[in-house]
Amino acid sequence: MLRRTILILIFALCACALFAEPDTLYNDFRIEEVEVTARALTKDIIVPQTLKGAELQRLNALSLADALRYFSGVQLKDYGGVGGIKTINIRSMGSQHTAVYYNGVQLGNAQNGQVDLGRFSLDNMEEIQLYNGQKSDIFQSAREFGAAGNVYLTTRKPYFKTGERVHVRAKMRFGSFALANPNVGVDVKLTDGLALTLDAEYVYSDGKYPFRYRRVLPTGETAYDTTAIRQNGDVNAVRTELGLHHYYRTTGFWRLHAYNYWSERGIPGAIVNNVWRNGERLQDRNTFVQGQWQDEWFNRWSTRMLIKYANDFTHYWNYDERLLPSNNKYLQQEVYLSLANKVQIFNWWDASLAYDYQYNTLARENLLIEAAPEHFARHSHWLSAAMAFNIKEYLRMQASVLMTQITNSQSSTTNSPRVTPGVFLSFRPYPKIDLSLNAFYKQSYRYPTFNDLYYTDLGNANLRPELARQHSVEIAYSIQKSAFSIQTSASYYYNRVTDKIIAYPKGQQFRWTMLNLGTVKINGVDAKADMSFFLPLRFTLRTRLNYTYQKAIDVTNPNDTYYGHQIPYIPWHSGSVVLGLDWQSKRGDHYGLNYSFIYVGERYCQQENTIYNYVQPWYTHDLTLYGEWQIQRWWLKANLEINNLLGQDYEVIQNYPMPKTNVRCTIAVKY
Amino acid sequence: MHYSSKILVFALCMSLLLSCRGDEIIYPTIGTHVTDLSGTGGLYVLCEGNMGSNKARLDYMNLEKGDYYSNWYGAQNPKQVKELGDVGNDIKQHGGRLYAVINCSHKVEVMDIQARHIGQIEISNCRYLAFKDDKLYVSAYVGSVANPELLGSVYEVDTATLQITREVKVGHQPDELCIVDDLLYVVNSGGYLTNQYDSTISVIDLTTFTEIEKISVGLNPTRVRVDDRKQLWVCCQGNYNEVKPQVVVLDGKKVQHRIEMPCANISVCGENVYILDGENKVLYAASTANYQLSTVNCSLSSYEHPYGLLATEDALYITDAKNYVSSGVLYCYSLAGQQRWSALTGDIPGHLCLVTGAYDVHGDTTRQDTTLTYSPYISRVYEFVPGMGQFVNELPKYAEGDDAEAMCRKCEAAIANNAGGMISLGGWGGYVTFGFDHVVENKEGRDLQILGNAFYMTGSTEYGSSEPGIVLVSRDENGNGLPDDTWYELRGCLYNDPLTVHIHSVTYTRAGDTLQNNFHKHPYYPQWFSEDEYTLRGALLPPQSVKINNQNVQRILDFGYVDNKPNTDLEGTSFDISWAVDANGQPVTLDKVDFIRVYCAVDEVLDMTGELSTEVSGAIDLHCNKQLVLPTIFN
Repeated sequence: MLRRTILILIFALCACALFAEPDTLYNDFRIEEVEVTARALTKDIIVPQTLKGAELQRLNALSLADALRYFSGVQLKDYGGVGGIKTINIRSMGSQHTAVYYNGVQLGNAQNGQVDLGRFSLDNMEEIQLYNGQKSDIFQSAREFGAAGNVYLTTRKPYFKTGERVHVRAKMRFGSFALANPNVGVDVKLTDGLALTLDAEYVYSDGKYPFRYRRVLPTGETAYDTTAIRQNGDVNAVRTELGLHHYYRTTGFWRLHAYNYWSERGIPGAIVNNVWRNGERLQDRNTFVQGQWQDEWFNRWSTRMLIKYANDFTHYWNYDERLLPSNNKYLQQEVYLSLANKVQIFNWWDASLAYDYQYNTLARENLLIEAAPEHFARHSHWLSAAMAFNIKEYLRMQASVLMTQITNSQSSTTNSPRVTPGVFLSFRPYPKIDLSLNAFYKQSYRYPTFNDLYYTDLGNANLRPELARQHSVEIAYSIQKSAFSIQTSASYYYNRVTDKIIAYPKGQQFRWTMLNLGTVKINGVDAKADMSFFLPLRFTLRTRLNYTYQKAIDVTNPNDTYYGHQIPYIPWHSGSVVLGLDWQSKRGDHYGLNYSFIYVGERYCQQENTIYNYVQPWYTHDLTLYGEWQIQRWWLKANLEINNLLGQDYEVIQNYPMPKTNVRCTIAVKY
Repeated sequence: MHYSSKILVFALCMSLLLSCRGDEIIYPTIGTHVTDLSGTGGLYVLCEGNMGSNKARLDYMNLEKGDYYSNWYGAQNPKQVKELGDVGNDIKQHGGRLYAVINCSHKVEVMDIQARHIGQIEISNCRYLAFKDDKLYVSAYVGSVANPELLGSVYEVDTATLQITREVKVGHQPDELCIVDDLLYVVNSGGYLTNQYDSTISVIDLTTFTEIEKISVGLNPTRVRVDDRKQLWVCCQGNYNEVKPQVVVLDGKKVQHRIEMPCANISVCGENVYILDGENKVLYAASTANYQLSTVNCSLSSYEHPYGLLATEDALYITDAKNYVSSGVLYCYSLAGQQRWSALTGDIPGHLCLVTGAYDVHGDTTRQDTTLTYSPYISRVYEFVPGMGQFVNELPKYAEGDDAEAMCRKCEAAIANNAGGMISLGGWGGYVTFGFDHVVENKEGRDLQILGNAFYMTGSTEYGSSEPGIVLVSRDENGNGLPDDTWYELRGCLYNDPLTVHIHSVTYTRAGDTLQNNFHKHPYYPQWFSEDEYTLRGALLPPQSVKINNQNVQRILDFGYVDNKPNTDLEGTSFDISWAVDANGQPVTLDKVDFIRVYCAVDEVLDMTGELSTEVSGAIDLHCNKQLVLPTIFN
């Protein structure tokens, strides 16, 4: 009786669910990527947070940024709407310490170091993984040892049943803010080992949504209550991707991936007194082609090569008649090469060596003046050496060192190479119980971007890189039974970011410059639990709980009024609860309901923690209803999402209002 | 069951930790109280706030009661949608009203003199204000009609109707403007788009409202003020590179004078024009008659970014904008430069406006009676007159051309603001006079700690290196901000010792400078003194040196002397203002003191180590709580 009561309570309290793709869908034959690294020795020491397959599709998430909200230790900066910029900050170290990898190759932005995660669609995504520290697999490119937090995006791989040669998917999504989002994908099996994938997507939204500012006096009387429509938030975007995958033996494969994204959008801007619309516009095109080749020799030696060329164009203009005009064009190019080798010295000892080279250029042109475009270039070299050991099943260790040298063509100062270490440990005391104690220490640099160094008047060519030191301990436990499965972990971390690159006033007039000024001390706790309960009558309940506590304080100078204060936009408490109930019919159709709750606690919008900078907590309740039906060889899916169910008027970033209740409806067909 | 309870506990913990969202309450004004006032009426402080933050804030200081109110506008106008706005750029009063330019809200906010909203004038990208009769003139970076040259405009507004009546196109990015008779002068700063700064002043005839002339003044002019002689003072910022900033004086047509110097802000008062050099952190007063510059003796060395300036007939107000993204500080000084009080402002306190009315905020003020921003460390060295000795000209180091003022600044660099350095007072009678950024109050217990370099002999607390100095305190009785008032001695343990000589004097002469020992081969006479001799007066303590193990050591005195006990001994290095006695040895009651003087009270020359001389390495007001007490309304 008690047991049942508790179970009911759990259902009531907790939340849930990330659903695995039904196994019946495509399991007969698959062009298998043989994981050369899939030996026990190189298994992840720090298990990443993962969202994949159908789990992803059933979350209330339109873009990658929406999905990352469900990870612990992550703070999302969201300027609102479909087109608003969205970046993430992992464990309070700053968004520029986060690296995002697309099929294993880092997405770069040498200009400002930030990747707008709102631009990455989930439609072509198979898996999203978040690693704190680094991917604890020593067989990786040198550069991957370099960032403090890593997000890996893996696009869909083709799967074919016996006799199948072609798969086609078509999807149409409609929603609030005049959202129209068609998506088509084709997979073709060219030969037994060679497959081609195509994916194309178009997004349109007028970005108009009502928002409300209501303020009350301390007496409870309403001070003002205003509702307006968000303006200049429209977006038009087209994404096309082409992939070629070839698995030529059980150990070797190569693949090519071409990506093109074009968009034109308004930047809705801050809502301030007497300003309800802004005139900034942005057009951009991101194109890249990347190739990967990997093979294994003598069962002991593995080699991986990566190559990439990227060409990114941005056009920003502002012809708001109230402001001085601006019109700038930027062209960034990137060439990237990586060679990684891993040798298995003994069964218990692996070593790897990798070298990466990257060349970045930026051309900047101000169209309002008659001047030649400015050009900036940078050469980057990374050299990494790593080792992995394991002592029976009890202890696994990895240690890596990375040497980085970045030379900017305009800088007179020579940057000497910098070396950063990383050590990862995992201890599993009982072989039969999946309980492990993990720890890592890692140093990483965030190098100044072209903007930090050369932005007109603001840049400072003498900047040093910003250093993050991470210390983390974790306890993880998981159990799988026929009736339920649980994965749970809790970690404590202490990070210290020094030489932080910040904008600081220069001289006497209102001008800024970039300086290495600032030290932040971060103490945090992440706790998460993923649980599935397999219930009678083909019901499944899945829950996912995340909680993050972060105390990230500025310890730059005891004489500052904000010394010891929480840094901007980092809440002390944040978390999410996902709760999903799925029912499978006898013939394999699925019906389900997914509920998610996201909470971001109180925080401050500036360095000084005063009432004038206080930002209230926000939390949203989202709901998804879905059904999946099989009709001969066709699969039909329908999905209805209701976001911000209670219509909370909230802001993630001050003066950037977020949408109230909004809906999305998706219909998808697969063959 | 086991797991279930674990989950339950986890879920409960989570729900307890998280707090809910409440109504968004309009932030109240917070009052802080400052002491040591001298002023009438009130002072408005317009804090700019950063672009996009919507944090322009109008604060108000009641100069008669010493109450500083943050967010006064918010308290007066809680129902204004989205508050005061984004980036405050100018504030002026005219005809019983206040006008504030809110640059990125594209409006001029019109208020009554108590800052209650009357109306607003919509002007895109408006910058600065000027008045003549019932007309308001506003400069703006953009005109009402876009023009390809990107020229700005000056608008004329009827203050009765708040309607724009006329507009005239001027130069690139016009900033400050001022009116002389029937002519309006506006500086064209330029350079925002092209780095090709403008360098002109547009002259506008107010009758026809046309630009009649453009006068070339200097690159990138941003400020213009008119003085009592109808001369224009223009701050040109240069190009922040090889073209240096300068202050240019014109008679309305021609340039009369140029001073090459950085100018963060400028303020005209009577026959003086005060110029704030924000780069070197110095305030100058320039005479409108002969343009001669003199330094105002207020120490700005602890400022992060000196920004706002207002000179009035009885006070100087200067703001520190700090790092531009946190609270700034408003300081008030006497005209002589003595600091009176300071208060914490909003972000980027840039614009000050004095009004005759002294008001109290209505309703619910959260009142805080602590002064927030005083430093516990000394901020100022007024005088430094060492007795002749081996460390004179060395601590601090004298450089060719230094005068007494320069030596004081060097002392400040060494011992003010907790700098951690040290100065030597030289032979007997040598003294230093210093003060804080506030008055030191005489409260219960010890009031002041003064640091030296005394230490104990190994294994002893009775002997060590002790070079005792006597402490004098003084109140600024005549209010001139200078230490020229009556001094009172803080009575130490040897005050009643029969061997103490209470009236003693020594005359040091340049000719007598022959004492040099082997370690200090340099003049002992203060090289910055122009006179060839000087006389020091005070009390002489009996000799305390003894030889132990063939080493010169001194008896450590019980209490009441500087540089007598180690700095780690708080009680042994701290002083109580209640110890003060007058010249006749009678106790006097002092509530507070403005100035502190320490002089070397021993006259002993030892073999090898030279003369005993008091060293001072700083002082701390023991009642001043350095930590900010931040208002918390949410707990």
